[in-house]
Amino acid sequence: MSGSRTDPGGDAGSADTGDTADAAELTDGPRVVAVRDRLDRVEDPELARSIVELDYVDAIDIDGGRVLVQFTLPTAWCSPAFAWMMAVDARDEVESLAWVDTARIELCDHMHDEEITTGVNARDTFGETFPDADGGVAEVRAAIADKARVSRQREAISTLLDAGVDPAQIVALDRDDVTFDGEAAHVELDGLSVVVDRDPIETYVNRAAASGHVTDAGDTLFLTPEGDQIAPDRLDRVQKRARLADVNMSGQGAVCDALHRARHGSDDESG
Amino acid sequence: MYEMDGEEIFVIDGHVHLWDARTENITHEGGEQFIQCFYDYHTGFTPEEKQWDMEEYRHYGADRMATDLFGNAAADMAIFQPTYLTEFYDEGFNTTEQNAELAEEYPERFVLNGSFDPRDGEEGLRYLEHLKEEYDIPGVKLYTAAWRDDSKGWRLDSDDAFEFLEKCADLGIENINAHKGPTIRPLNRDAFDVKDVDDAASSFPELNFIVNHVGLPRLDDFCWIAAQEPNVYGGLAVASAMSTNRKRKFGEIMGELLYWLGEDRILFGSDYALWNPDWLVDQVMNAELTDEQRDEYGVELDVDTMKKVMGENAARLYDIDIEEKKRQFRDDAVTERFDLADHYGGDAGAAAD
Repeated sequence: MSGSRTDPGGDAGSADTGDTADAAELTDGPRVVAVRDRLDRVEDPELARSIVELDYVDAIDIDGGRVLVQFTLPTAWCSPAFAWMMAVDARDEVESLAWVDTARIELCDHMHDEEITTGVNARDTFGETFPDADGGVAEVRAAIADKARVSRQREAISTLLDAGVDPAQIVALDRDDVTFDGEAAHVELDGLSVVVDRDPIETYVNRAAASGHVTDAGDTLFLTPEGDQIAPDRLDRVQKRARLADVNMSGQGAVCDALHRARHGSDDESG
Repeated sequence: MYEMDGEEIFVIDGHVHLWDARTENITHEGGEQFIQCFYDYHTGFTPEEKQWDMEEYRHYGADRMATDLFGNAAADMAIFQPTYLTEFYDEGFNTTEQNAELAEEYPERFVLNGSFDPRDGEEGLRYLEHLKEEYDIPGVKLYTAAWRDDSKGWRLDSDDAFEFLEKCADLGIENINAHKGPTIRPLNRDAFDVKDVDDAASSFPELNFIVNHVGLPRLDDFCWIAAQEPNVYGGLAVASAMSTNRKRKFGEIMGELLYWLGEDRILFGSDYALWNPDWLVDQVMNAELTDEQRDEYGVELDVDTMKKVMGENAARLYDIDIEEKKRQFRDDAVTERFDLADHYGGDAGAAAD
């Protein structure tokens, strides 16, 4: 991670607290941690990774029940819809803490930083802030949720293929053919039960449900990116499309990471 | 030209600019943000010893550009891709007219594309005709996400755009280069969208649609469309720079492109001056897939593939006769200026430095 920036855990709370800084640090320590833990749940929708992990958070400042969070994205040109979603999610996550009255979120160094900061803190909608945007944040969120579904499906299907399940059996599975027990997922195949790791299957099921698919017991478990049933001879193609979606996301992650480093002057690289 | 396994590889840099981002040319804060963003891309994917400072990056001029492209024979030819951005820059950022300064000095070395914006209506159609007449443009570069007055962008599959594409077909402007990638003053309009290329490409099979930046961050949507539309191509600008410090990601992206599009529909581009072919070409030529990637994708970045990606595919789209060009370059103005006669003299040679 970049080494030149304010560590929200280390010295947040010291920004505007003046001569009470020492006292604030003592009392705010665990609270800063609590805020950061909530922010860790906020994802960059383009990368499906936490904004804390991505090092976007510049500062966390706590004053009683009021919390200020400042964050910066890899470029001033990041999609305003994505920036908006991160700001709103950050606000809602922080405000879910019992001791927080209000969270103020400030987006820095973005071409729409003022509009987004003002709109999010005034609790306006995206449409009110950007009246000429053609479509809402909801449809962007839906598209993102769908990409996550396809990506996780790939791992779930690979797990079943590795366990020796046939493509024809895989595409015929329904949601209620899968049950979880401890660390295991049990998959019913015409009276036969296959036991595989719980994690990849459960992660997929959760992501699918979040995208509005595979919500009922009788729903087909695995679907094409478009949400249709998969023909057995097309399963490989569907897996290849999911691989492609993963490469896209990690590739974009590499671009954002490089831009973030360029913007903040960090020179350690990986990749 | 470049030598790989004893074979000559003729390099056509499919994506270059001659821009002017000097502060006196900037009329809107978006212009300053834009060049700063470009500079982050530059430093983010350029080896430290090759990085430019901000002042030279704002304006490098025709003379330096010729040296960067041809001085060590890293590129043999280059294709201009204009970026007007007249809302941000007084004289425009990188217009056909600005590009023509260098393209007309060395016409045998450059392809000069034009541009259109369907929101310009009748006046825009006349301008397109003018560009064809004045510069004989073989293609256009388009920014669907550009702002114009109250509009925050346009779609390639709109009626207005189709009227311009029809005009391109009539005029023989065959290569439609669409910027689909890193965003330019967008709202949510283009957050996910390369899909307008789909309908445009199937409606105009006589035109070639080159999607710059291979659609990143929508590589998946782009590849899926390209797999179904044979006249859709991928331009490697930005992706090629990932070979600097994200080699693994570059390999994966190449693997996907070769799997979905095949080796005949991928075009190298440096995006100069975002990145400089004088080091980038060498770097891309030396890029390799990992063993794991070879197994996963079943493809190779071998000589035949690289020949196509680095030059032959662009040559086919722009009617460039590579063998004829090699003969011409034995004694053209660029060869005389940079003393490249030996390089084009017959024996294959690596970059001349």
